[in-house]
Parts: sequence; structure tokens; C-alpha cells
Amino acid sequence: MAHHNEDEGSIGTSMHGVTAREQVFSFSVQGEDDGPSSHTVGFDDPTAKFALPVDSEHRATAFKPFSFAKPHMRAFHLGWISFFTCFISTFAAAPLVPIIRDNLDLTKSDIGNAGVASVSGAIFSRLAMGAVCDLLGARYGTAFLLMLSAPTVFSMSFVSDAGGYLSVRFMIGFCLATFVSCQYWTSVMFNGKIIGLVNGCAGGWGDMGGGVTQLLMPMVFHVIKLAGATPFTAWRIAFFIPGFLQVIMGILVLTLGQDLPDGNLSTLQKRGEVSKDKFTKVFWYAVLNYRTYVLFLLYGFSMGIEMTINNVISEYFFDRFQLELHTAGMIAASFGMANFFARPLGGYASDISARFFGMRGRLWTLWILQTSGGIFCVWLGRATSLPIAILSMMLFSVGVQAACGAIFGIVPFVSRRSLGLISGLTGAGGNFGSGLTQLIFFSSSKFHAADGLSLMGIMGMIFTLLVAFIHFPQWGSMFFGPTSDEKKSKEEHYYAAEWTEEEKRQGLHEGSLKFAENSRSERGRKAASDGSSPSTPPENGNPAHV
Amino acid sequence: MAIHKILFASLLICLLIQSSHAATKERLFSDLEKSALEVTATPSRVGEGVGVDKLSITWKVSSTATKEPEFKAIKVKLCYAPASQVDRPWRKTENELFKDKSCPHKISSWSYDPAMKAGQSFDYTLERDIPTGTYFVRAYAVDTKDHEVAFGQSTNEDKTTNLFSVQAISGRHKSLDIASVCFSVFSVVALLVFFVNEKRKAKIEQSE
Repeated sequence: MAHHNEDEGSIGTSMHGVTAREQVFSFSVQGEDDGPSSHTVGFDDPTAKFALPVDSEHRATAFKPFSFAKPHMRAFHLGWISFFTCFISTFAAAPLVPIIRDNLDLTKSDIGNAGVASVSGAIFSRLAMGAVCDLLGARYGTAFLLMLSAPTVFSMSFVSDAGGYLSVRFMIGFCLATFVSCQYWTSVMFNGKIIGLVNGCAGGWGDMGGGVTQLLMPMVFHVIKLAGATPFTAWRIAFFIPGFLQVIMGILVLTLGQDLPDGNLSTLQKRGEVSKDKFTKVFWYAVLNYRTYVLFLLYGFSMGIEMTINNVISEYFFDRFQLELHTAGMIAASFGMANFFARPLGGYASDISARFFGMRGRLWTLWILQTSGGIFCVWLGRATSLPIAILSMMLFSVGVQAACGAIFGIVPFVSRRSLGLISGLTGAGGNFGSGLTQLIFFSSSKFHAADGLSLMGIMGMIFTLLVAFIHFPQWGSMFFGPTSDEKKSKEEHYYAAEWTEEEKRQGLHEGSLKFAENSRSERGRKAASDGSSPSTPPENGNPAHV
Repeated sequence: MAIHKILFASLLICLLIQSSHAATKERLFSDLEKSALEVTATPSRVGEGVGVDKLSITWKVSSTATKEPEFKAIKVKLCYAPASQVDRPWRKTENELFKDKSCPHKISSWSYDPAMKAGQSFDYTLERDIPTGTYFVRAYAVDTKDHEVAFGQSTNEDKTTNLFSVQAISGRHKSLDIASVCFSVFSVVALLVFFVNEKRKAKIEQSE
């Protein structure tokens, strides 16, 4: 059994496992596939002790959302709730801005810049998080983020001017990297066949935090005011709630959670060898693939716009329609809450279209969803009456959130080797897009917020045209078919191209070849008539959502 | 289908909310009779502190007022001066009265009868939620339908004279600061304790 010592040591090679297409520990899912890349580690009748059915790596093959069984479902719930809590903290200031702006004497530029800062930190922390999880395990990765960023949430009580407000929002924003640790954790706990659904639920339900906070914070603020505090003190006290939630979740994660199905990382690290890929290689192949940049920008105008709206929509409704703080919060909340079904819906739509039209179907689905999101965003900006504004906002929310789900229906196919890094880069693109749109449209008095919304929708639609540039030699693109070159039109060629000859001789690319075979389903119905596709429902049946 | 139902229901609710708004949308500030009231506002000191300092306000009906018979009530409000409106669109002055956001803070209101022509003078202690800024005082005269018909303000038409500044409370409290530090320290220490403990246990396990 070959141990690939020469490859190990590259910590954080990728956020491998982020969308769980790749194998963690380079086990294969089907036990019969013994190649140089698979290990077996002896355990004493391990499957008997799990509440859920598991595969040979002890990853669960069933998803039972109502269960809290150790370790799989527990990890799922701890993971998504941690992510949810961080979304609450990051966007907690947004519904309270009408009070905060009076307390700190903020200008529109101050508010806008703080909004940009709140999403910028995570661009970097999301990229670093993969390495952290590799080093410390998902449990500590999550707990570190939660408990080290809790002080930043508490420090809102010290803020007395625009500069302080911006710094604190910037620091709180780092905790959005829990998205990565959450996906990493579910990926090591769940089998590839169901990981799409699991990650979609974890991602969508976590994103809901941006909506819940718009309801929660005004309510907490109101209760604290009733208890006798003045408004300018009450909002500071209100921030203790997200802070407490983070600390509590951190403790729960540490006490109830488990890094891996068989135990915690530090215990397991002393036993088996873990084969890791070289970070430089993974990075290189991610950077060379032009689709990485296209996805980076596309996600910036779906998730990015969603995060921008989380920051501005409550204030928008408060000012434009003269609503009460909690009414504006309620409306703003329904935007984020739509994530509960909208995101999985997008992934599901992507899957269905792939069944008939293959990758072309996925690309068109993405384009349609994201463009309609843009159209409804323009409409929202134009709306002068409250009912129309709410209607357009709801349609807009479904559009962009489903687009987020649809993008991660495509990400797993862009690369096999650099999958984790590309997923992380795509995620970072979301934060980048959010920072950019807030900076351009909502930070200056150049235009009204309403015009800002419409222009943002138009910009989103323009950038969504980039989907047309995603072309796979083996499957084609929106307008062009697959290449006619006999060799290049094979999936194997595309995925094996990420390995050098030397590496191929060592058989390191076996995982990629298996994946290539499974991915033939992306040819659509033609795959069935080819007779060359596997009849098993592909492991990429449900896309991974983040 | 559930989505359709929810959308439809929310649409209905919003229509109901909207239809309950009074139809006062077209009344303009420029239609009001100017200087029908003479208003003065004197801060007790420069750089007034909220919750502590007082404004001495007087209003009386000016001799040139023509709409005086319509007056039913006088509403006195604290308004933002242009300096406090810069880069703050939520405090913008608009001609349409229902949209105007430059006078959000109510000071007091008085029922009016013709015997009160000579006006009133009173002291107002600044509320604790008044933000830092420069202000002036405006008094609106409203009719029986609660529509504004005339006004007067303590500054001139360009809002450049007789402005006063207000200093808001910070909202910070020592007890809050201390609580914040305590919880932060707890969070960090708890994490470190767990971490160190577990590393120690793993080492012990390995050496066995």
C-alpha cells in the first residue's frame, strides 16, 4: 500500500472537501476500487456504532434533518447554526442603522463604508479557513472563529464615532468564514452522493441568518427600550445578544462536536497517514483555469448582491416608506428568509436541467435565474408604492438566491484537483461583489438608494452575461457544443490535464478519472444514448450549495 | 404553490396598509403662510447637552397672519439646520409635507383659541434621543383637519441665523464597557482552556 509521504506536509492544500466532490484522506467511496490512492485503516467493526448508515469512510449515506445523532447529524446542525449565528452578527447593525446613525452622527458615506468593511474581511478569512480546518479540524476552526470574534461583537458598546463603527463592523465580518468550516465539516461527515443536498441546506439555512437578524435586532432593541434604556444605549446592549449566541455556539461545538466520524483530529492524526496534495499545485491549477475568475465575478453578483441587500434594505424601507423600525425589519427579514427554500431550489433546478440538457442546461438555468434577479432588482428600485416594492423584493430574493445555488451546481465540475480552492475563491467573490456594489451604489450621496438598487440590478445583469464564456471542451457552453476533437471531448482529458505526467505515473490522478467517469451525466440525455455513462445516479446528482 | 399563497397574502396586507394612509400627499410646504407665527428659541448655554439643558421657546401669532381663524392647534418642532443635513438624505427637506424629514422631533403642541394670540413661552428640556447637530425651532399652525396652514421659525428663510447646536449623549456606560470586557475575556479564555486541555489529553493518550 503506497503512502504518499512525498506529497504530505502541505497544510491547507485546499479547502478540500468544501463541496465534497473530492475525497478527504483519499479514500474511495466504493470499497472495491483499490488503486494506489486508496488506503484502508483497520477499525474494529465500526459501522455498528453509528446511528446513520455509513460508507467505508464512515461518512453518512443518509440525511435526517430532524436527528441530532452523533457524530454526523450533530456536526451538520452545529455547523449550519454556527454559520447562521455569524450571519446574524455580521448584519446585526443593518436594521439598527437608523438609531446608530443618530447616535454616532454618521453620514451616508460613513454608513456605506462600514457596510463595505463588514463584508471585506471575510474575503481573506474565507481563503485562510481551509488551511485552518486542515490544521486544527473543523471543530476548532469553527470554535476559534466564533469565540475569537465574539469580543468584536461585544465591543460595539465602546463605539463612539464613525471610525470606531467601521472598525468594529470590519472585525465582526471575519467570522463569515464559518461558511467554509461548515461546508468542510459536512463534507467529511457525509457521503458524496448526498453532499449536494446536505451542503445546500447548510448553506441556505446559514444564509437565513442575514434575514433573521433584521427581525431579531429591532425586537431586542425594542424590549431593551421598554426595560428603561435610552435608545442610544439600548442598541449597544442589543449587540450582546449575537455575542452571547456566538459564545454559546462555540462552547456547544467544542463539547458536542467531533471533527471526523471516528473521532477528533488530534487523536486520529497520531494514527494513520493522511495524503495531502501540494498547495502550490492546487493553487496553480486554480489560477490557470479562467473559469475560476468568471465564477468569482458571477458569485459576486448573486451572493454579493444578496449580502449588500442585507446591509441596506432595512434602512431603505425605513426611509423611503416611512415605516416603523420593526416593520422595516420584518420586510427586510423576509428577503433573507427566502434562502430557506430558494437556494436549494436553485440547485435543484440546476440538477433537473442537467438531466435533460447537461452542462448547457446548468449554464442556462444560472443565466435565467441571475438575470431575473437583476430585473426584479431594477423593479424594486423603481417601485414607489410599498406593495409593489415588497413583491419585487420577494421575486428578486428568489432569483438571486436560487442563482447562488445554481452556481454551485457548476463549481464542482470546473476542477477536480483544485476544487476546494476554487470553491473558496468563488465564495470570496461573493464578498468582493458585495463590497464593490456597496461602495459604488450605497456609499455616496450621488444617487438615491432607489437609483442605487436599479443600477446595481443593471450591473448584475451585465456581469451575468459572462456565463456565456464558461465553456467546457467536453460539454460545450451556452451557445456552442462540445469540441469536435476526438481526444479533447472526453471528460477524462479535461480532468487529467490537471496532473503532470510524473504525477500520472504515480497514479495520483485516479480520483480525477473516477470523477470524470461519473461526470458524463453532464452531457445530458445524450449521455444515455452514448451508452458510455454509468447507470448509477451520479454522485454529482445534487449540486453542492454554499 | 405555498409561495404563491404567501406572496398573494402579503400583497393584500400591504395594500391594506397603504390604503389606510391619509390622503395628505399633495400638500406643499411652499403653500403655507410664512411668518404667521413669530418664534424665538434661546438655548440656556452654547453647545446644549441633551437631557440636561433647556431651550426657552416662545411663539406668538404675528400681526400679519391672515389665516389665523383657521388655527386649531400649534405644533412646535425641532428642525435640522442645513449643516446637519449634508450627506444625510434621511434628514432631507422636501416641499411635499408628508415627505419632508427635516423636522422630526416634536417639542410640544398646544390647542389654539383666539385668546392665545399673544402666544406662549415655555422651557423645553432636550430629549435624550436627540442627535448631535445644529438646529432651529419651527412652529406649525394646523387646522381642524390636522393639516398645516401656516408656520413660523426661529431662523430666517435661508436658515442661517439664530441656529443653536446640541450635543447628544454618547449612549456609552461604564457598566456596559465592563460587561463587554468580561464576556470577551470569558470567550477567549474558555476557548484556550478547551484547546489546552484537549491537547494535553491527546498527549497523555499517545504516551500510553
